[in-house]
Amino acid sequence: MKTKRIRVDHLARVEGNGGIAATIDGKVVTDVKFSIYEGPRLIERLTVGRTPEEDVSIAPRICAICTLSHKNAVLRAMESALSVKVPPKVVLARELMHMGEMIESHSLHVYYLALPDYVGFPNAIAMASKYDLEVKIALEMKEFANHIMKVMSGRFIHGENPVIGGFGKYPSRNELLFIKSRAIQFMPFVLKTVNLFCGLDYPDNPEDDTLYACCEPGNDKYGFWGDEILLSNGEKFGRDDYKKLTNEFIVPHSYAKRSRYQGEPYSVGALARVNNLGDRLENKAGEMYKKYFNDRWKRNPLFHNAAQAVEILYCFERIPVLVDKMLQISEDPPIVDYSVKDGKGTGLVEAPRGLLIHHYDIADGLVSHVDIVTPTAQNSEDIERYCHIAVQSLLDQGQEDKIRDRMELVVRAFDPCISCSAHMAEIRKAPEADWQKKLAAIKEKGAPLYVGVGSPDRTDDAAGIELALDLKKLESVDVALESDLMERKDSDQRVDNQTFIFLDALDFKEEPGKITLLPLHYVLNNSILSHRFQPLLALITDHKQLRNAYVLGIQPERITEGKKISASVRSAMAKIRDQITN
Amino acid sequence: MDNGKLKIGIYELTGCAGDALLILDCEKELIDIFKAVDIQSFLMAKSDNIDGELDVALVEGSVTTEREIEELKDIRERSKFVVAIGLCATAGGIQARFTDPEDWEENFKKVYGKTEMTHTKAVQSKPIDAYIPVDYYLPGCPISKEQFLNFFNRAVKGSLPEKSQNPVCVTCKYNENDCLLKRGQLCLGPVTADGCGSVCINHNIPCFGCWGPLDVANYTSEFYLLQDMGYSIDDIKNRMANYSGTKIKDFFAKIKKEAK
Repeated sequence: MKTKRIRVDHLARVEGNGGIAATIDGKVVTDVKFSIYEGPRLIERLTVGRTPEEDVSIAPRICAICTLSHKNAVLRAMESALSVKVPPKVVLARELMHMGEMIESHSLHVYYLALPDYVGFPNAIAMASKYDLEVKIALEMKEFANHIMKVMSGRFIHGENPVIGGFGKYPSRNELLFIKSRAIQFMPFVLKTVNLFCGLDYPDNPEDDTLYACCEPGNDKYGFWGDEILLSNGEKFGRDDYKKLTNEFIVPHSYAKRSRYQGEPYSVGALARVNNLGDRLENKAGEMYKKYFNDRWKRNPLFHNAAQAVEILYCFERIPVLVDKMLQISEDPPIVDYSVKDGKGTGLVEAPRGLLIHHYDIADGLVSHVDIVTPTAQNSEDIERYCHIAVQSLLDQGQEDKIRDRMELVVRAFDPCISCSAHMAEIRKAPEADWQKKLAAIKEKGAPLYVGVGSPDRTDDAAGIELALDLKKLESVDVALESDLMERKDSDQRVDNQTFIFLDALDFKEEPGKITLLPLHYVLNNSILSHRFQPLLALITDHKQLRNAYVLGIQPERITEGKKISASVRSAMAKIRDQITN
Repeated sequence: MDNGKLKIGIYELTGCAGDALLILDCEKELIDIFKAVDIQSFLMAKSDNIDGELDVALVEGSVTTEREIEELKDIRERSKFVVAIGLCATAGGIQARFTDPEDWEENFKKVYGKTEMTHTKAVQSKPIDAYIPVDYYLPGCPISKEQFLNFFNRAVKGSLPEKSQNPVCVTCKYNENDCLLKRGQLCLGPVTADGCGSVCINHNIPCFGCWGPLDVANYTSEFYLLQDMGYSIDDIKNRMANYSGTKIKDFFAKIKKEAK
């Protein structure tokens, strides 16, 4: 029995406190868990019973990195609820403020948190020995971005200058001109940044399709907020329907909530925006997009870093435009007068790491309900899925020693902001003999439906079918073949609440005759994908049932044309039969 | 590594990571900071972290899980000097709003339902001095760069800055701002510890009290002043509670005492 546990106790260079753990059964990854150790803060509760003004101050305290995204989101939600319409200068000033946060967060992430991984240093300060110039100018760029945030919001972090209806105070003409001239000065370094991060040699593992979600800025423009959500499959829906996308649920291993769209994980963030909106980029950012964007960006989360670099360029090109437009409006508009009334409002904003949603209900002058969906909460499921793919392929290639670093690389690429709600990469190896225990546990919850799958004419691949036919003779076991299952569905016999266990020959790179019991979900995600499960999936359409389906697999000795099942597989079949009837 | 430099660890419990981020935001000084001391652990900035004996531990965030209680006790055991940085560590933070255990339990269930959490048990948010002795406090939501560097420079030389006894109003006067209370706004400047440079009032925004209560302030007077201005008792209490964490109990006890 090989029981091994590799563990990195702290997922460093991410914002906050959390971890990632993979469980390996023999040569198969059975489980990946991305956990947030950050404790619960109950932000959605402590903002209830406060005035809208107090929540505009409190809610952004969720996160220091994305404080201004939260500020913009809560302001958009409150202003929608209170029907406050702000003048154009306010919108421009808020966008300029947001540019500061984007550049700050992206430059910190690409240079300080991600780059050390690709050039082999433990941290950015150590990296300075070789990348002296990059580290220095990146610091200056971050400092400049901080300066924008400070000038616009009042201070580096948790500034209170932006309020419902406008700003307490606008920056002076000189301050704005300084921001513009500095932005122009940075251009050569910004272009270098794009070339550096778009040209990095990103590993081709993990790669898989996903769904990307972001705000629809409207007017065929690139941008960081809007009143609609846009998906990479072309679907769109209004801000008040945001729950169609997010469907938040809770998993026991994390205090951050999770989201899936129609049962499937999806991704948000810079990569989602560049995938969905990249062809709208203009000027140099548009040129760079055309130069570097390719199909790998659609499937590989490590390209988040490249997308962030493109967005840094977009922001630097946008700053002078915003400053000029602001200066054309000579009067500083005062804070819009409003009265607090009952209402509901949703604010959608693209935080640096993705779609951020704030929703508030106001009743009797006080906030009565709050719902906040953060980007990291939405990315959690895809972080687990991509880590799963990455770990499995490394196992298949016999590169076990790389697992830990790769998992951290994948998690870090998503730029998770754990205070949105990570320190640890853990690889747990489950004992292989566990299948009997696992089966017993499933049986305890209710009689499962065993489904035999395979090809009767392909030697060991017939194992599942033969085993099912054998079990069919017993009345005590609910068993079916693939074809029976179709009939069951047509005859409307409900199988909704039943656990499915597929019996099959499964190549999980072990000795012939070895048995394993794995969640179907993971077999499907694995590189050792069993092609036959695809048509069957049509039967298991809802997500809950997919989570409730397993594969009881036997490692085949050979799969060729022929009728003869090998001895090792036969003896495994007998073991399974005993266990099922037991 | 014994090079005579102070061994420092920077730790984050539950919060927004704003105080650690603010240290990273000391761009000009950052490389000097890394040179002047031996930073043994700073998760947000580096991956080669060592959990060994420390001269100074800077702890950000409030304690909200059992795992964090253990972590915090371990930090205390390994460190000669512990500094609470940021409002979450000094007062429990905005997440310490539910000071009553039953209130907290009820609200916890409203967010997380009946899901049994497997990774670590949640507890009510408390400042770190609820579990360990704390040697120095740097309040603020978030801390200020000036106060941090002031502390850091003194600590490297083996001493400490004196604790400020001023409310925000003192700095606000230096900055020649108009008094927002006089304009009828609910400003907490008179009862809030200074350190922010009266930043909000400089922007015509009233003080929200994010440095936490100042222990020598005249709470009663502020309370009655705001009431006279027409604010309801609930409004005033809420405002005062938002950034006072668990220290709000002392705060209100003091008002009661002074009212007698």
